[in-house]
Amino acid sequence: MKYKKKTIKIVVLLVGAGILIAGGLGFYMFNKPARDVQKTSTDFSYNASDIVSEYLTDPLKANNKYLDETGNSKVLEISGIVAQISEDFNKQKVILLKADSDKAGVSCTFTSETNSQVDQIKIGDQITIKGVIRSGASFDEDLDMYENVIIEKSGIVSNK
Amino acid sequence: MKKITILSIIASVVFSITSFTASAQKLVSSQTHFKFFSSTPAEDIEANNYKAVGTIETSTGDIVFSVPMQSFEFKKSLMQNHFNGKKYLDTKTNPKSKLVAKITDLSQVNFEEDGSYNVDVAGDLTINGVTNAISEKATIDVKDGKVSLMSKFNLTLNDYEIAFESGKPSKNIAKTLEITVHANY
Repeated sequence: MKYKKKTIKIVVLLVGAGILIAGGLGFYMFNKPARDVQKTSTDFSYNASDIVSEYLTDPLKANNKYLDETGNSKVLEISGIVAQISEDFNKQKVILLKADSDKAGVSCTFTSETNSQVDQIKIGDQITIKGVIRSGASFDEDLDMYENVIIEKSGIVSNK
Repeated sequence: MKKITILSIIASVVFSITSFTASAQKLVSSQTHFKFFSSTPAEDIEANNYKAVGTIETSTGDIVFSVPMQSFEFKKSLMQNHFNGKKYLDTKTNPKSKLVAKITDLSQVNFEEDGSYNVDVAGDLTINGVTNAISEKATIDVKDGKVSLMSKFNLTLNDYEIAFESGKPSKNIAKTLEITVHANY
């Protein structure tokens, strides 16, 4: 009898612990913060010109290679020449890496945490930026212009 | 004689500059903001996107926007993952949404004069690979030669085969979303 009581106690404890863990996990998943791109390891490193021409050559293949179904797409390090520095509506800095001879470039948006890294950057600098890819370069017939590769959550990796 | 030559050179330079300005009628956006807002008793959901590119052809009233869908940013990462997923927006297959439209009452707008102009915009909106005709109101502001566009409209998810049929998203996401567009050119 004493033995049986002990078993029930253990089972209740185990079930209780299970419910707590499942609940905690569910709560954690529901409120999970977004992936920290700067702390995520880099998947590919390229020159801006290389990824632009890869996209212009075969956009479907490139989308398959870089874009992720859940939006956690590849983390890239892109090197190139700074062609333009601007700011978006969210007060985030935007650097366009583009060679004069290229049809499109790589538009990299920073975050409130990384914005200050852009202060020291000038047009013409050769730099490397790490960030997550959102979409590729293409010629859009309706816009009648080339669209840039889009990178967000950017940070500067090197600034020669 | 010399004076006349100089004057004519100045005149021709001025003329060529003004005629150049008049022919450069396609404006490209410098800043954009697309927001969608969904409200249900369960919760309010908002997502923001600052990476769209747009153009306005001031002579014809053509308006185009290309919106990279993975740039929509949510507070909760789980929602963002759902949004991008195959069952919903399938952003891997359709990375961009597009609006190709026209200001139907272009005579209402004077792009050369400061002011706020209410216009009707009609055209095709493609989301999730599905195209629908839309007709919405927008406001064009001209200030110190700078043009901006604002619009707020509703979008029915079912029209774009975005179906949240079961599970948590179906209860927490409204069937009709409010879309806000703001662009500086």
